[in-house]
Amino acid sequence: MRDVLLNLMLRALESGVADYVLTPSRGPGGTFPWILVNDVRLLDRAEPFPPVMYVQGAKALASFARSPFGGKVLAVMRPCEARAAVELSKLDQVTMQNVYFLTMDCPGAVPVKSYRNGDFTEPDPGEPESLRPLCRQCTHFTGAGDLFLALHGGPPVFRPVTGSGRELLETLGMETGEDRAEWVEWRDALLRHRKEARKRGMEDMRRSYTGLGGLARLYGGCISCRNCRTVCPICYCRLCFIDMKDRRSPASDHLHRSGERGGDRLPGGTLLFHMGRMAHMSLSCVSCGMCEDACPSDIPVGRMVSMVSEKTAAVFGYEAGRDTEEPLPLNTFEPDELHEYED
Amino acid sequence: MNTKIRVLETETGVRETLGKFLVRLLESGEVHSVFALRKTPQVGRFCRSLVSDPDLVDELVPFLPVMPVQGAAALTALTGTEPPDAPVAVLLRPCELRAFVENVKQAQGSLENLFIISCTCPGVIPASVQAGKDPGEISMTGPDNVRSTCETCTQLVPGPQADMTVILAADRETPGTVILLNSDRAVTLAENFGEGSIGTGEDGHARTAETLRLRKEAREAFLAGGPVAGKGMDSLVSLFASCIGCRGCREACPLCTCILCDYETSRTLPSPELVRLETDLRGALRVPAGTLQFHLGRLTHISPICVNCGQCSDACPVGIPVAEIFLAASVSVQEALGYEPGMNPEEPTPMSTFRPDELGDITD
Repeated sequence: MRDVLLNLMLRALESGVADYVLTPSRGPGGTFPWILVNDVRLLDRAEPFPPVMYVQGAKALASFARSPFGGKVLAVMRPCEARAAVELSKLDQVTMQNVYFLTMDCPGAVPVKSYRNGDFTEPDPGEPESLRPLCRQCTHFTGAGDLFLALHGGPPVFRPVTGSGRELLETLGMETGEDRAEWVEWRDALLRHRKEARKRGMEDMRRSYTGLGGLARLYGGCISCRNCRTVCPICYCRLCFIDMKDRRSPASDHLHRSGERGGDRLPGGTLLFHMGRMAHMSLSCVSCGMCEDACPSDIPVGRMVSMVSEKTAAVFGYEAGRDTEEPLPLNTFEPDELHEYED
Repeated sequence: MNTKIRVLETETGVRETLGKFLVRLLESGEVHSVFALRKTPQVGRFCRSLVSDPDLVDELVPFLPVMPVQGAAALTALTGTEPPDAPVAVLLRPCELRAFVENVKQAQGSLENLFIISCTCPGVIPASVQAGKDPGEISMTGPDNVRSTCETCTQLVPGPQADMTVILAADRETPGTVILLNSDRAVTLAENFGEGSIGTGEDGHARTAETLRLRKEAREAFLAGGPVAGKGMDSLVSLFASCIGCRGCREACPLCTCILCDYETSRTLPSPELVRLETDLRGALRVPAGTLQFHLGRLTHISPICVNCGQCSDACPVGIPVAEIFLAASVSVQEALGYEPGMNPEEPTPMSTFRPDELGDITD
């Protein structure tokens, strides 16, 4: 399957369909950094199926493609990464102009900590125990981007999703016929299974961390490293609201609060940060699990954001990463909505 | 070395003695609040906290060898905009105190109205080891598996800002609790405490001379064989290859106090044009670009004042030995600058001082 993808990257570069390929690669010491390639001889370093997600692909793309890049880019990434890029395009952090997104039937990713400890098996959707918690309940494991590589129900085959995906395949002289029945069967079966797993996972979270006390317990181990925010593809702000100078309380406020309540945690604002972050980005959350992977305190922060995101998105009938044309709910004013939340 | 100083000795253990002492400070109104490590039963994890209610002193775990947040970072959050308007008793490890003194020099905090209780430090255990442990399971005076930066730390005695020094690391184990009274205020508060006996005894250095010798040996061995010893750029590239760009090292660092890091500014982040140019030149480019630039840049900014607390390594989710790299660099940088961070709030930081006649031996 790696060879099939590598071959497409090669043909895309050689034919001029793309000027650059963005792909994970094999780096020193068993790492998988993203590389932007335009020399076909360096494509042998590409590893489009890394077992881990070191950096969210949309973040890698946004690092250079905020404005038109001056060349066509073929971005080879996981479905959740391509979906995050869709959200970033609506937030003006990524341009979709001249970028083709090539995804695959995603095998999922293993936790980066297990990978670093050498305590992992290659990701396999059939073996959910090998995967990160959010990958185990991912229902968007295929069909994202402009085109994708279908791996199941027969030999690997590229499938178009959008018009430009179809065009790309046609330019390269590749078949664009119907989805094969065996693949559809595989997809539907895994989707059923994942929906069940997601339902169970969400119920677990809700049961374990309900109410303000539950949230305090969940985030109690937070060391304020902000890794969750920094690795999040959606959290793009250069300066987060929580770090702004006017958010700092003078010592007298802390002492007053401590006097009133008996004590006052420092640095303060742990819950404010996590809930504020959810309020800001949960509608665009693609449940990639990067935040949870990066948490040194092993807080199930990704599962919490993902659960909240499902609820908030449902209120607006919105789905993160579905369509670049679907407006962001918080950027859209509808005079006649949300009456059920009014007094 | 044989300075005799005033000493408070009690027959009870450190946790009990300190607990009683802190309750006494709060009840008598000698301090408004106590700033220490805490483990609340509701949350069940360690944190830094102010405590004003004497009944909550039970939830404090003073000097438990864990560091969920570097004390200087938390104290900087408290005093960064103004000093407290009432006295606060502050419990800090020596490296936390030194980091805080550095922040005070950078106008990020204030020593005013703080009564500082420190310790001779046996080190702290890494976050990965402490997870899920009960405070009772962890030894206060001789924890196992301390951070590598603690094993090699030669500044286990707090600086002169400490009003009190609780003897934890010591060459000879003593029953009960020994607290050095470094200031007149400390003597007064110890007298008002009414427990134990006050006499004179050896200072912190005399009590830890042998421990220091062993730490020095460990440090020499580390510097000779550590992860970056005698290696060049390739070694740095490999060490930081697994960086996921989470910036946890920077956020956890008590000294990285900039609101907006230089490496997040538009003038430093590579432009699309530069990324394209570099990709065209090299054939391929790692993106996001600037991983090594960030780490080396942070090393440049922090190594002159780094106190080697090890918090950066704790926050790294992929296990890069950040703190060890900073240790190796800061030892030589601080030696070249003749600077010892965190010892004297009046001494200017080397990077804010221009001397035309310095560093002749490392210039052409």
